[in-house]
Amino acid sequence: MVFLTAVNLIRSRGPDEWWRKRKIFKLAAYFYGRRRNCYSLAIRSVHRALVYATKSRQERKSDLAELWKQRITAGAAQHGIEYWQFMDGLHKNNIEINKKNLADLAAWEPASFESLAKISKDFVEKNRNK
Amino acid sequence: MFLNKIIGLARSPTSVNQLSNLFQRCLISSTSAFQNKLTPAQSLEVSKYDERKDPVKNINEMIKNDEAGRLFAVVHICGKQFKVTAGDIILIEGHWEPSNGDELRLEKVLLCGSQDFTLIGRPILQKDLVNVQATVIEKSLSHTRTHFKFKKRKQYRRINFQRQPTTVLRINSIEIKNLVNQNKNAESLENVFY
Repeated sequence: MVFLTAVNLIRSRGPDEWWRKRKIFKLAAYFYGRRRNCYSLAIRSVHRALVYATKSRQERKSDLAELWKQRITAGAAQHGIEYWQFMDGLHKNNIEINKKNLADLAAWEPASFESLAKISKDFVEKNRNK
Repeated sequence: MFLNKIIGLARSPTSVNQLSNLFQRCLISSTSAFQNKLTPAQSLEVSKYDERKDPVKNINEMIKNDEAGRLFAVVHICGKQFKVTAGDIILIEGHWEPSNGDELRLEKVLLCGSQDFTLIGRPILQKDLVNVQATVIEKSLSHTRTHFKFKKRKQYRRINFQRQPTTVLRINSIEIKNLVNQNKNAESLENVFY
């Protein structure tokens, strides 16, 4: 007995070509020029785009951390204190608000941020001569 | 002409209340309790904070007379901190136990601020001081994130798809329940489970 169907199944693997390509074209729908419509070009740029998306999910975190640091530095400078002094003063006083929220406070709640700056300033001045 | 009139009103300090009434009349009346508190007229009110007094007395007086106004708070939930105010909706990522419709009281309040004063916790405020009420309104999965690794000319390609459980939380109200500096034996973190 000859099993022709089994042999055919091994040969024709995966979904139909049209459906396979459709997945890629869907992701390439917003690309520019021939990269949107020609499969061999589209797949290249889709791969790149996905790699970028994967990598930038990590990079986003460090980018935001940098932004928060900038905002806190600017907010602290308004009250005549440096970034590291400000953060150190808060941590030594057991205030554990994270950088994201400190940056938010610096931008949107200047009065609250001022009182935080005062706390660190007091700490810095008390410990200056130690 | 009407605009000129408003500006004229705003410039004269005695008629601030008139102006706030003007805005109040423009408001669409809402039924919900916390929305009523958020009238824009409040921001025009002259501050009741008297800087000559002792700050603790001052704040306690404001709390007693219910003059604290709209509050915001920095709360610690599920390993992350959020700055919230009443009516906010926040998205919490990752596995978190509470289920749909649960009414929660958020106990880890790091900071609570109003227009005139700020209460700062070291690291959190006393349990009975600030009451932050929240409701779980949605439990679902996030959008699909594609994790794709690729090396050219090396026949190396890995693709994974990942979705995280997410919880959507609505902040119902933020209230100051007790007076500041009343409980002398300040509570440490002993009763808080992390």
